[in-house]
Amino acid sequence: MQTDAIAFRSVSAGYRKRPVLQDVSFTVPEGEFVCLIGPNGSGKSTLLKTAAGLLRPSHGMVRVFGYDISALKPRLRASLIGVVPQKIDSPMAFTVRQIVMNGRGRARRSWGVPSQEDDDIAERVMIYTNVLELQDRLFNELSAGEQQRAALAMALAQEPRIIMLDEAISHLDINHRQEVLRILMKINREKRLTVLLVSHDLNLSSQIADRLLLMQGGTIVRQGSPDEVMQDRLLSTVYDCDLQVRKDPLTGSPVVTGMLEGSVRKQAVRSRLHVVSGGGTGIELFRRLSIEGYDVSAGVLNQLDSDADAARALGIGCVLEQPFSAIGPAAIGQAAEMVSQADGVVFSRVPFGSGNLVNLDLALEALKKGKPVWIAAGIEERDYTSGREAVSRVRLLESQGAKAWSSMHDLLPEIARKCRRMT
Amino acid sequence: MKGSNIKPADPRRRSDGQMLKGAGFALLSVSIGLAFAVSLLLGPSGIGIPDLESVSGKAIFSLRLGRFFMGMMVGASLSASGTVFQALLRNPLAEPYVLGVSGGAGLGAALSILVGGWLPGLLGLPLTAFLFALLTLAAVYTIAGQGKGGPPSVYSLILSGVIISAICSSLIMFLVSTATIEGLHTVIWWMLGNLQPASPSQQIVSLVLIAVALAGLQFLSAALNVLTLGREIAHYQGLNADRIIGTALFLATLLAATAVSMGGMIGFVGLVVPHVMRALYGPDHRGLIPASAIGGGVFLVLCDALARVLIAPLEIPVGVITALAGGPFFLFILRRKMNDAWIA
Repeated sequence: MQTDAIAFRSVSAGYRKRPVLQDVSFTVPEGEFVCLIGPNGSGKSTLLKTAAGLLRPSHGMVRVFGYDISALKPRLRASLIGVVPQKIDSPMAFTVRQIVMNGRGRARRSWGVPSQEDDDIAERVMIYTNVLELQDRLFNELSAGEQQRAALAMALAQEPRIIMLDEAISHLDINHRQEVLRILMKINREKRLTVLLVSHDLNLSSQIADRLLLMQGGTIVRQGSPDEVMQDRLLSTVYDCDLQVRKDPLTGSPVVTGMLEGSVRKQAVRSRLHVVSGGGTGIELFRRLSIEGYDVSAGVLNQLDSDADAARALGIGCVLEQPFSAIGPAAIGQAAEMVSQADGVVFSRVPFGSGNLVNLDLALEALKKGKPVWIAAGIEERDYTSGREAVSRVRLLESQGAKAWSSMHDLLPEIARKCRRMT
Repeated sequence: MKGSNIKPADPRRRSDGQMLKGAGFALLSVSIGLAFAVSLLLGPSGIGIPDLESVSGKAIFSLRLGRFFMGMMVGASLSASGTVFQALLRNPLAEPYVLGVSGGAGLGAALSILVGGWLPGLLGLPLTAFLFALLTLAAVYTIAGQGKGGPPSVYSLILSGVIISAICSSLIMFLVSTATIEGLHTVIWWMLGNLQPASPSQQIVSLVLIAVALAGLQFLSAALNVLTLGREIAHYQGLNADRIIGTALFLATLLAATAVSMGGMIGFVGLVVPHVMRALYGPDHRGLIPASAIGGGVFLVLCDALARVLIAPLEIPVGVITALAGGPFFLFILRRKMNDAWIA
């Protein structure tokens, strides 16, 4: 039976008080070229550190060529796995050659000189990564891209059977990136080197990888061939933005494009939205709606509320009430004025109590004038009024045409459709 | 090293470098001889080899010989210890004093001098000093590691080291303030730093401890090179980083504590000599640790010779001379060569 190069069995891992990976399972057969993709903070680097034995799983088991990684002797581990981290910092004045020689464990003996073989291997990997000319330069004085190539040379000098790269080609210019990838693919084909590459470049990943692992929120949401993973709907949900996938006419591999230009042009005629929020629940709405190019107003909020601070910082017009007081008739009148100038009203996941219940009247105001209203789903869990009054009011509003929303990804196209038609 | 960056790779270059380093070590060996000669020729009783026929001449000669060995041992320990602390903490300001190690050793030694031995004579002072140094290191580590799961960060280590150091020096001052007149003189002299030969048995014990620690650190020297790239890289390179850091800290502490118990609080050597040797020799710890040890020893022996003759027949504490004499000289070297040692 063939052993897998890397096998995760329901692994959870992370940092104290902040678990990142949750119940991750996957295997990478030897000789496969795998790219790990996913948005910022989805757990890619954590997965890589766990695979390299730097982080111990809190649950589950990581096996590398059948060995339990946390029980593996350090020296054997380094002969199986080479890691190129995002950045290496060498505060002391080591030359590139000295750094690369670190990869030759046997050459690190404290007495004696490295063998001819160690020298040859170091020379070869420096030629591969095009740092031979830099070998006498000080590592820390190199450019970021040159440092990444030297770091790759150090990892290759270990002659590992798996190499893991954590965003380690991100600083390379296009010709060195192609070169480095070609080297990796060459060793991958000729010596069955297993490659695990963390990358933000979706197109590059789908071009070079045998298989993609797509991560979101600490789990792998999809794994498979580039064609299976690169799907508009899937990627749009995971990255929480509008993405289009089509086939590259030359290579036939899937290519992703964002909708940056389109969305800006769409907003040539500006529409205005009124946001009802509180306690920090509106910040994400403010941010996304502003980026999408809407005029945003907000209220009624209490002074000192974190949403009120965010609105002021973003230059969003806002109706304010005294701190810690119930919303009075004057403020609600002003807010109604704002709603009448808006093209739609969005309610965040704001909790309701007796003090701000009156904000729900703004929705009624809007519905009466035929304007769309979106209310975040799950009102039952944030109704703190006696007698569940918020729930019954929201039910009433929904019967009159208010829509429930649950994710920003669904809400934004909905708003774009409704409010564009109106202007 | 830096100037050669445009030249194409030259296969001879490496052997040149090795020859250069060989020459460097030859130079260091010569400097030991020089220090030896200076140490024997200079003294408050006059310049030149004393008359070995007379009783007083013999006494002077053996006294000067003893000072030479004391200087070599203390200087080598302080300097090698500083080199290792700087590598482990990846910080150019690290030295035996920064982590509170010397403060702890000093407290232990002061207790041993003033309160008296709880252990049989010859081991009392060095062992108490070492135990207190280890306790301090443990306390610094524990305090610095609070609140987080992993090993403590360099910054919290240094900060808690400074705090513990301050506590130790307060306690030493308290002990000094309550001391008897006789004890006071001994302890003040010891705190100012001087190389009055310790008892032969203490010298032998110290020599063994220093030799063991230096050999252990030399054994770890290649791993220290990798550790300067950080704990994470060391892990990827197949090192048991935490164990190596622990062992090296233990050995460097042993060196510092032994030096403090022999020569008192001698500053400057543990901080600056490593920098100068790194600037002259390069950062490779396989050669840097022995080079620092020799450099520190020679430097301290020369300072001690100065201390004995400058205002003879009075003697200046060598701890006063190290910074006064060494400061300008090292400033001159570091101004020109600092970039070859650290890039921060």
